[in-house]
Amino acid sequence: MSSLVETKGVHKVYAAGSKVAALNGVSLTIERGEFSALAGPSGSGKSTLLNLIGTLDQPTKGTVSYEGRVVSGLDADTLSDFRLRTLGFVFQSYNLIPVLTATENVEYPLVLQGVAPAERRKLALESLKLVGLEHYSHRRPDLLSGGQQQRVAVARAIVHRPSLVLADEPTANLDSKTGAHLLDLMEGLNRDHGVTFLFSSHDHAVLERARRVVQLQDGELKADEVRSR
Amino acid sequence: MLQLAWRNVWRNGRRSLINVAAMGFGLAAIMFGQSMMRSLQSQLVEKATGSFTGHVRIERRDIDEPKFPDKFMTKPEEAAKLMAADPRVLVWGRRIHMTGLISSPNMSLGALICAVEPDKENKITDMAGYMKEGHYLEPGPKGLKGIVMGKKIAGRLDVRLGEKVVLMAQAADGSMGAEAFRLVGIHETGSESFDGQMVWVPLQAMQELLGRPGQANELAAKVRNIDDADAVAADLDAKLGPGNIGAMSWKKIDKEIIGIQAFQDGMLTVVLVIVFIIVALGILNTQLMSLFERVREFGVLMAIGARPKWIVKLLIMESALLGLVGTTFGLLVGSALIAHFGRHGLFLPVGDAFKYFLPFPSVIYLRPAWGMHSFACATVFVVTLLATLPPALRAGRLKPSEALRHV
Repeated sequence: MSSLVETKGVHKVYAAGSKVAALNGVSLTIERGEFSALAGPSGSGKSTLLNLIGTLDQPTKGTVSYEGRVVSGLDADTLSDFRLRTLGFVFQSYNLIPVLTATENVEYPLVLQGVAPAERRKLALESLKLVGLEHYSHRRPDLLSGGQQQRVAVARAIVHRPSLVLADEPTANLDSKTGAHLLDLMEGLNRDHGVTFLFSSHDHAVLERARRVVQLQDGELKADEVRSR
Repeated sequence: MLQLAWRNVWRNGRRSLINVAAMGFGLAAIMFGQSMMRSLQSQLVEKATGSFTGHVRIERRDIDEPKFPDKFMTKPEEAAKLMAADPRVLVWGRRIHMTGLISSPNMSLGALICAVEPDKENKITDMAGYMKEGHYLEPGPKGLKGIVMGKKIAGRLDVRLGEKVVLMAQAADGSMGAEAFRLVGIHETGSESFDGQMVWVPLQAMQELLGRPGQANELAAKVRNIDDADAVAADLDAKLGPGNIGAMSWKKIDKEIIGIQAFQDGMLTVVLVIVFIIVALGILNTQLMSLFERVREFGVLMAIGARPKWIVKLLIMESALLGLVGTTFGLLVGSALIAHFGRHGLFLPVGDAFKYFLPFPSVIYLRPAWGMHSFACATVFVVTLLATLPPALRAGRLKPSEALRHV
């Protein structure tokens, strides 16, 4: 496996009122094809690290690189384009656009990429089929269950074939059965389609499925466990 | 983007409808105000020029008051030829305006004497349309000794149709000229000035009374299109040269109407600015609420690759769509109001105020002022877009991670 993401000594200090150090020099490498999780208690810095890797935020110090190219510090437009081509996101609260149908939500990264309407519709339906929601394509989010919404979010995250999907507490709002189904789905996408996943979670079900678990505590990397299956 | 923008506009249907209604009724009110002012002004100009002033006049330059010229043109033929030769002039006639004394067997009163060429004056002004009793002046020798006057002055003189009155005025040699006329018509315009002070006699009879054969103190013309009045007056004035005789349009004669127009336009502008500000604040409020509700959504869009500029464009497009719907709605409501009051008339007591000076109806028939309405529509639309800029730019400056944390 080749190295996909590398963080080198990243620090993140929030300066709202008093200064709070969320990350203290974390260095981490994510390889292509991984199915990994960032673990740790609340406030350990896992969401902050995920945001830095996802270029949604900038490190106070240190660098984030993709395939050897430093992306931290790039301007907002370049980072937007980078995320559009390279990354997929799954959020804890699904975060679908409420006025769009399932298909239209999934299509959106392709709309931003400028893909032709017929092509993006085809790709969106394929993606929805992969997550088992092809029969719900015309429904808006408010007519879908939480688990279905999260599956639409996964379909949106993979529709443009990103190098890496970042999932922030993807099962936190789901019951255990639905959460397990979602993990099955993501595991299948990793295994069968080679999609690289990086989660942040403190859900044991997620951590048990991950093939690598990076433990964070007080903004520092405490353990990095690779499991064989 | 258009699809998303359109759906976002209607995601809170009730709020958008209130916004559209605010914009629409605001615009309709603006259009109604514009139409009312323009119709009032047009009607005022039509009545002023159509009952007395005419569109273009040739007079001596050294007179004190162009509306009532007190000095004579001894040889008006050359000026008359120029007026007759202009194809934009529909009809023209010679006039004498002067003050004099009118006497009946019972009473003598001061009067404003208007001596006109009856066949031409009939087409320059619409006084013949206000005849209450009898008929307007007749051309030729048959009508030479006829006189028409307002109902009030006839009442004060206590004269009836067919009875004689004597008109006295200062003749060219300084003596008092006098002539008897028979009352052939009584008009009732509703205007105190017209009905209580004015008498109308044939020009030739007045020239004889004053000992001024062939003379007049003004040439009055009606042009085919009133909008050409200034140009016609300017051309005639240039052709008349630098001598003591010049031409002017109704705007220089009825200066008070121009003053009234300027005052009304100023008032209308103030009202329009207030309405525009109200519309702008309404849109700004809606967009700010919409922004705060959707901060997390903007974060998601940024996370999946939307550039900040794209978010700004999305919000501006939403506003443009909302503005388009509101403007269309306002245009329809405003047009319907104007059409309704154009057909059935709008009772405006302001007519009574003008009535003292002019024959002026209290009912105004509204007409669209499309030039002004287009400006109002465009302004409402632009104001809508401008009001969106602050929240849109603010959305464009959001950091994705902070936006995603927004509750």
